[in-house]
Amino acid sequence: MSDNEHTYLLEVDRVSQSYGTEKVLRDISFEMDRGDVTVLVGPSGSGKSTMLRCVNRLTEIDSGNIYLDGERITGPDVDVNELRKEVGMVFQDFNLFAHLTARQNIMLGPRRVLGLDKEEAGKRADEHLEMVGLTPQADSYPGELSGGQQQRVGIARALAMEPKLMLFDEPTSALDPELIGEVLEVMRDLADRGMTMLVVTHEMSFAREVASEMLFLDGGKIVERGPPEQLFDRPEEDRTASFLRRITEMHS
Amino acid sequence: MDPTVVAQATGDWAFVLDNAPYLLVGAVLTVVLTVVSMLLGFLVGFPAGIVEVYGGRVSTFLVETVGIVLRGTPIVVILIFMYFVFSTPSLTLGLFDVTVTLSDAFIASVLGLGLRSAAYQSQIFRGALQSVDEGQLEAARSVGMSKLEAIRHVVVPQALRRSIPGFQNEVTIVLKDTSVVFAIGLAELLTRSYDLFVRQTTAVLEVVLFVSAIYFVLTFITNRGLDLIGSYYEIPGGEQA
Repeated sequence: MSDNEHTYLLEVDRVSQSYGTEKVLRDISFEMDRGDVTVLVGPSGSGKSTMLRCVNRLTEIDSGNIYLDGERITGPDVDVNELRKEVGMVFQDFNLFAHLTARQNIMLGPRRVLGLDKEEAGKRADEHLEMVGLTPQADSYPGELSGGQQQRVGIARALAMEPKLMLFDEPTSALDPELIGEVLEVMRDLADRGMTMLVVTHEMSFAREVASEMLFLDGGKIVERGPPEQLFDRPEEDRTASFLRRITEMHS
Repeated sequence: MDPTVVAQATGDWAFVLDNAPYLLVGAVLTVVLTVVSMLLGFLVGFPAGIVEVYGGRVSTFLVETVGIVLRGTPIVVILIFMYFVFSTPSLTLGLFDVTVTLSDAFIASVLGLGLRSAAYQSQIFRGALQSVDEGQLEAARSVGMSKLEAIRHVVVPQALRRSIPGFQNEVTIVLKDTSVVFAIGLAELLTRSYDLFVRQTTAVLEVVLFVSAIYFVLTFITNRGLDLIGSYYEIPGGEQA
């Protein structure tokens, strides 16, 4: 990329990926600017989660390129651990470290990866616990927290690395309905603070309110992309219309 | 009741009590053998378990093969092999003013019991490591930890907790299996009890009961001790993740 060209925060360029003979992603391209909230929607098996996992290389792509801040992050010469410092991830099943308290969960990355000392890491953990509203639960273990609280710790854990980009892999899908709101609230707050977020979700009200762009994936391809108003109110593709109608009915 | 029988019984218990110090020295040797063998078993078995779960194809194959051989061979055969075939040397250790000479039979016993225990312990740790959810490793990798760091700081602490019950079993088994070293002439608890009831053949039951009580006390103490360690390190709220 030349210097005078506009550099996106994230640029996904003709990415394909397959598990064995099963093609999961077919020639996907999209880009995100700083502060963008891009929501990936689509039926199960459409490749949304795989796309997300390719960005921090928990899954490897077969062809194409991905650039973060103008730097190519795909290819064998890239240090994945360096990349993952810059890209936070929130998992569907939270995946909090079960043997550590909320505070210790958040401290582990900054201590082991960023090399902060115990005091600095602790301070950073406390700030992020406050941000997600869990200061009183700092010393609780994951098993002592509700699903919503666990996911908020998961978000704080990723944020404490001070990443450039946050990935959310169906962050509310494993939650009881009454706990979804508190997690979405934290995510909304994060978007308001200008965090760049790539989100896989079925929460259509969140997508409509917060997304700067929505991508509708089906069969490993981007069927349609655009601002949420376009996809919800005047979709160009029939598949987009019928999927969004179904999922909105199901969740309302 | 015939008074001579009572006198006889009393005599046999008196015989046991008179020789209790002799038996207790054997018990000390049993404990030392168990502790050192378990330690060797842990130092070899724990890395072996890690290799079996995370190792490459060749290293995993080698570790698995050695494990299968050790687990598939009777302990007496292993001990005889160590002592007569491998012919372990004796070893003199000096620490400050104290020098301890470890007999060749002791060394053979520790190697035999320890390596066989390593083969079993590797399976305890393998199972515990595999039982930790894949998502734990993935979450650690996602914040930029290397695979080794993730295993060390996230998977191992959880796996060690889960291996305590299996480890507890293993201590009990090794403790009782130390009795097999009589095959190469090491005078531990059971060897000494055998010496005693050969000397006074009417006292077989008394000697065996007394020795059983010692074994029971030893296994009871280790089990309770490990229970305490287990509950001390128990994760509040459980291990749902």
